[in-house]
Formats: sequence, C-alpha cells, structure tokens
Amino acid sequence: MNEIIVSMENIGKSFPGVKALDNVRFELRSGEVMALLGENGAGKSTLMKILSGVYTRDEGKMTIFGKECGDLNPKLAQEVGVAIIHQELNMCRHLSVAENMFLGREKVKGMMLSNREMEAEAKRILDELKIELDPKQVVGDLPVSKQQMVEIAKALSTNAKILIMDEPTSSLTSKEIEDLFRIIKELKQKGCGIVYISHRLEELQHIVDRVTIMRDGQYITTMNYADTTLDEIIAHMVGREIKEKFPRVTCEKGKKIFEVKHLNAGRMVRDVSFSVYEGEIVGFAGLMGAGRTETTRAIFGIDKAESGEIILDGKEVTINKPQDAIRAGIVLAPEDRKKDGLCTKLSIRHNIALPNLDLICNKLGVVLSKKEEKICEEAVKNLRIKTPNVDINAGNLSGGNQQKVVVGKWLARNSRVVIFDEPTRGIDVAAKVEIYNLMNELKKQGIAVMFVSSEMPEVMGIADRIIVMCDGKITGEVMAKETTQNEILTLATRFDKKMVSGE
Amino acid sequence: MNLKKQNPIKKILSIKGMGGAITAFIGLVIIYVAFGIINPTVFSGQNIMNLLRSMSKYLLIGIGQSYLLITGNIDLSIGSVVAMSAMISATLMTQGVNPLIAILITLLCCLIVGVINGFLVGKCQLPPFIATMGTMFVARGVAYIVNGNRNTDAISSGIGKEAGESFQNFFYYGNTFGVYNTFWIAIILFVIFFFLLSKTRTGRHIYAIGSNVEAAKLSGVSVLATTTKAYLVSAFCSFVVGLILCAQAGMGNMEAGNVYEMYGVAAGVIGGVSPLGGTGILLGTLAGAAVWQTLENGLNMIGAQVGIQRLVIGIIVVVAVLLDVVVRSGTFKKKGSTKTAS
Repeated sequence: MNEIIVSMENIGKSFPGVKALDNVRFELRSGEVMALLGENGAGKSTLMKILSGVYTRDEGKMTIFGKECGDLNPKLAQEVGVAIIHQELNMCRHLSVAENMFLGREKVKGMMLSNREMEAEAKRILDELKIELDPKQVVGDLPVSKQQMVEIAKALSTNAKILIMDEPTSSLTSKEIEDLFRIIKELKQKGCGIVYISHRLEELQHIVDRVTIMRDGQYITTMNYADTTLDEIIAHMVGREIKEKFPRVTCEKGKKIFEVKHLNAGRMVRDVSFSVYEGEIVGFAGLMGAGRTETTRAIFGIDKAESGEIILDGKEVTINKPQDAIRAGIVLAPEDRKKDGLCTKLSIRHNIALPNLDLICNKLGVVLSKKEEKICEEAVKNLRIKTPNVDINAGNLSGGNQQKVVVGKWLARNSRVVIFDEPTRGIDVAAKVEIYNLMNELKKQGIAVMFVSSEMPEVMGIADRIIVMCDGKITGEVMAKETTQNEILTLATRFDKKMVSGE
Repeated sequence: MNLKKQNPIKKILSIKGMGGAITAFIGLVIIYVAFGIINPTVFSGQNIMNLLRSMSKYLLIGIGQSYLLITGNIDLSIGSVVAMSAMISATLMTQGVNPLIAILITLLCCLIVGVINGFLVGKCQLPPFIATMGTMFVARGVAYIVNGNRNTDAISSGIGKEAGESFQNFFYYGNTFGVYNTFWIAIILFVIFFFLLSKTRTGRHIYAIGSNVEAAKLSGVSVLATTTKAYLVSAFCSFVVGLILCAQAGMGNMEAGNVYEMYGVAAGVIGGVSPLGGTGILLGTLAGAAVWQTLENGLNMIGAQVGIQRLVIGIIVVVAVLLDVVVRSGTFKKKGSTKTAS
C-alpha cells in the first residue's frame, strides 16, 4: 500500500502557439485519491491525457509502476493499467452495458461472440462495486449517473489500477454523488490510485487525500488535504486571493417585469407560475431533472408549451419559437454549451454576431463589419474573454471562456429578461465570479434575471429570491437571505405522494 | 485591449477556410504546369478558353453543393435537376415557346425541387441523403416524362433558327471580351453567391446550422428557412447548368447531368469545404472546380483514355481530402510516434 505508482517529471507539451505544459511533475500513490486542481486551461486535462496516452509528451520522464514508459497510446495505457473516465461519457448508446464494457475486447468462442460469458463477467464486476444494473440493458436508456458507473466498471474490467476521473460529478445529483463516492472509497481499499479532477471544491473533503495544484501549465504545489484549507487551495489556483466568492449587490426591488402563469409543457413543466421583478435575481434550485431546464426551454419557445401565459411588462406575449422570444426581449444562455450554446467550428466573432444579425445587418441582410466589430469588442472587454483575437474558433477556448461567449452573445441586445441555465458549470472560480458580476450588472440595469443552478451555495449567494422545483412543479419559494440549505433541499425533494406510492 | 489590427495579407490568410482554398490553388498551378510541360498545347489561348468554359459547369454545381455541405447536408438531386432543366427548357422551345418564357417556367420547376428538398430536410427532419435521393429519382423521372421518354428535337425546330442560335450563343458558344459567355455567367453567379455566403445574414445562418444546429436554433435562426435557402441555391445553380447543357447540345438530353452532384462534392472538398458542415469557403470551390477541369482537360490533351481519366481523378479527390485531414489533425504523426513506444 501507498507505494508510488505514477511519477511524472519535467513534463512539457506544446500545441501550435501555446505551451500547454511546462516542467510539470505529478505523483500518485496506490490507495489514494489525488485531486488535480486548477483553473480552466491550467493544463490538468492535458497532463492526464498524456498519462492516458491520448497525447504524447514533448519532454519529461514518466514512470508507471516503477517502469519507465515511452510514448503511450490509449491502448498501451490500458494495458499498463491506466483508465480515464471522461467528462463527456464515451459510450456507444445503442449497445448494452456488457457490450460497452467489453468493447474492443469481446470474449469469443471460436468465431462466435460469447454473450453469456461477457454478461456474467460484467455482472460480477458490477456486483463487486454494488452497482445495481442489468448488463443487458441498453446504455442509452440509462441516466447519466449510471452510464458513468458503467464507465467505471469498464475501467475495472480492464484491471485498471490508475483511474482518472475528469469532473465526474458535474452532472450527478447529490444522491448519485454519494453513490459515486462510496465506489471511489471501495476502489481506494482495493489499492487503486485515483486522480480526481473537479471544480466543485466543496466535495473534495469527502474523499480526497492529497491535492496537486496547477496554474497556467505549471506545477504549483502538492499538499495533504488535511493540512490545508479551501481558501489556501483557491489562492494557489488563482494566483491571487479572491475576495468574495459570491459578490452580491443590493438593489431596490422595482416593478414586475416578467410573469409566467400556469405554464404546462409535458411532464416536466406542470402548472408553473412565477414572476420576476426589476432589480432582483431569481434563482431556480432543485435536483437534476426537476424540470428547471425544461421550464426555461418552454419559456424560450424551444419546446412547445401546452398552455400558460407569458406576460412581459404587463403585456401578454406569444412565443412559439426562439425567434419570438428573442424579438420580445427574452434570451436564454443554455445549459449545455457544447450541445446548445456554441458553434464550436465558427469563430468567436461569428458566434457573438449570430443572434444579433438583425442589429448588425442593413436592410438587404448584408453584415456591416464595423457594427459587428463593435459588438464583439464590447463582449470581449466586458466579460474579459481571454483570446488573442475574435477570429479564432470558439471551440479552441477553454471552458470558462466558451461559457463567456455563450453568455456574451446575448448582451448586445436590449433584453428585458435574461435566463441563465447553469452558467457556471465546469468553469473555474475566477470565471464564475465574472459571470456573477455580469448577472449583478444586469440586475442593476433593471433587467429581470433568472438563474438556474444546481449548486446550492451559489444560488444562495447570488440570487435574491429562490424558487425551488421538484418533479416539474414549483414546490416552494424562499428569500435567499433567510433560508438554509436544508430548507431548500426539503422543498426540492417534495415529490407528489402518489408518485412515491405508485413506485 | 488585445484585439490588434492585423495587416491586410495576414488578415486574408487568417480567413477561415482560406488554407484549403490556397492549397487547392497551389495544386491547380502545379497540375496545370505539369500538363503544359508534357503537352504545350495546354498553354494555348484556345485551350485556356475551352478550359474556362467547361470549368464553369463544375463551378456552378460546386457552388450549389458547397452551400449544402456547409450546412452539413448534401444535395443528391443536382444532376437530375440539371436534366430536368435541360429537358423542360428544350421541350418548351421545340414547341415554339419564347425562350425567355421557357427559361422562366424551367426556373420555377427547378426551384420547386429546391423547396421540396428544403422542406423534407429542414421541416420533416429526413436525413438529407435519403430525402434528396428521393427527389433525385423524381426529378430524373420528370426529365424523362417531359418529352415522352425521348430526347427532344433540336430547339431551333420550334423557335426558329435565329432564336435557337442566339440562345445557344448566349449560354455556350458566344463570347464577350474574348471569353466564352458561359464563364462570365458562372463567374458573375460566383461573385453573387460568394457575397451571399460570406457577407450576409443568410450566409452566417448557413454556417451556423452546419456547425451546430441546436445552438443556431437557440440563437434564433430558422432552420427551415436556412436549409430551404441552401437547397434553393443548389437548385438554381443546377437550373443554370441545365440551360448551358441544353445550349451546348442544341437540344434536351434526358441523361444530361448524370452524377453531377458528385462533381459538386468533389469540387467542394478538393477546395477544403468540409462535408461535415460549418467550414469552407467558395474560393475553395472555385479552385476545386478548376483542379477537376484541369485534370480532365490535361489528361485528355496527353491522350489518356477515359478509363484512366476517371481513375486518376478519383485518386486525386481522395488524396486531396486525405491531405487535408492529415494536415489538420496530425494523424499520421501520432500514429508514427506510437511505433517508437517502448
């Protein structure tokens, strides 16, 4: 136990135009959870991709289980015992759990696949981890959390001893996170070394033994978790102290701007009514799958609303498609930036211009580059988007900066209602604060801000009023200053009695 | 602020998709010079004129197909719409219909195909490959039916010798400032569609849905309208090519434009237009069409048989795209380095 199983020294890696890693070292012992921390673009993912053979290093020494390794590729890395569980899950959605677990290593008898054997083996591994899953089930039908479990089981089926988890909890509910932590603890007992990458610093205390901190492609320090504090960790990550994690501004509550009455859209939006006033941020809390995203989608006209009224500045507006919402002055920065928010193959300029083309085109539809330039420059400046110029692909930015583009493209318009759906997911502390400041700025301008977030501390820290949803319904409304996490959680788990007994 | 003003040359080079276009232009020059060295007639004025004229068809088809490729779709009906255009216009003219009116009716018919394609793909969410395969057969069927399953007579038999000749001259045989009209038509349309794609709202929408259709939708882009516009562009280009073929032959041929849709794909991808959508510029397509035509022409001039021509062209397309993929992702490099692993 506790011998060093991975040791990386003087690792360097450059991409065209950037030095992603410079003289980095990293060490992992068996039976420990090592948190690898740093802001977006600090080089954590790059370092782990080198360990798992996705990238090859330019320089440096890498020793795994005492043996010095040359350049790895994913297959070799697997053979050595390294497995990575990606932030975006890499599963074949149409295949079963067992088929996914044995993908590329299918067990055969002669020419025939031996499904029974694979299923039995899969079952054994799942049981060992106390994961309740049928190996025959199709992966695409499983919730994200279970898919992640399958990934972990898959990693173990290859006898991996070094597990890299990249933001494993970013899309899990707190119950699911507990399950994951239990499994992580079990893996620890078995002597696996686990590298844990996460932006949710609060959760580290439950599992982490040591932390390694990186910043701007450089190694900063390694510490025992028990000997340090969150503030110290953050200071190392950011390179300066962040004064306020949740900056709050107080505004006079003004007149009612926006009201939703009896909105219904499918099972996940049932009889939702609420209103937003001038000078306030309304938070939407709840568990994963509580219907908050669905509510924002119905308001924005992406999903069809079956019934309900949407009232803006005292007048009812009809919204059938996003164009209608945008025209009325309601905009949405969606939750999943890669899927819904960004055209990653297009430049930052084109992304920011896209929803504003009506403002920057002349009557013939020709883009006026001066106006476009102005909008882009303002967005980059106001949000401090870190980029050499606006003509590089949005997909090449780090997560936090991508998120800023998703948000930034809406700010050129004189909107009345801005909906943020999980705007800070997967981005670093400093970028989070910038997004909060932006929301505060909008609030000061008298714009109605809706803020959907699954992270309790930030909803409580930023929103003025919190609406809690559960299972497609609003189950409560609390003032941020007067409430507790427990109260919100109680509201967030108030399921219909019928549902529970109907199980 | 770090938004520095770049110098103009750098700025042009930094335009996205310019890399693919420039590579194709360089390839074009190499191919052209190489053929010219083997057979100097390639450099002759007449040959250049011929080259520009026959390239025009590929350029127009390429423009249409590139619009679709950039939206992440494809149009398989192009060749059939070309035939439809040739057959409808020729049939009408052999019936003595005024050429202008014949052209307008033909245009309308072709655009209907574009609208149907746009509707099937943009609204009904059919896979573009299937939807346009359907309209491909339908349009070819129409081309057959129009004149009762046979090619038309000479168009001059209906509208008279003089009108027939002026139609043929306008689209194919005549020249202006020493260059065939066909090329002028193609290049004017090129400029218009280049502008439409790179400088207008519609153009931006086309790139956006090709890059991420969900994000585009949430940014207020109408997917139906944009997809339909792209299919209209390709239907329009096919329409023009149909007229050109009709003018060239002086009659309507039911088999006109066979597999042209694939020539369009070839012109686009040689010029760096990604078949996955979201990237590419029409300058690339221009270079791609020129490469394609220069190859065909050059192989002809050095006396290669048709079979050899096809074979070489096929290889060139694959190699061009392969090069592009390799340069962009460095795949070969990665594979090479794994061999040195311990």
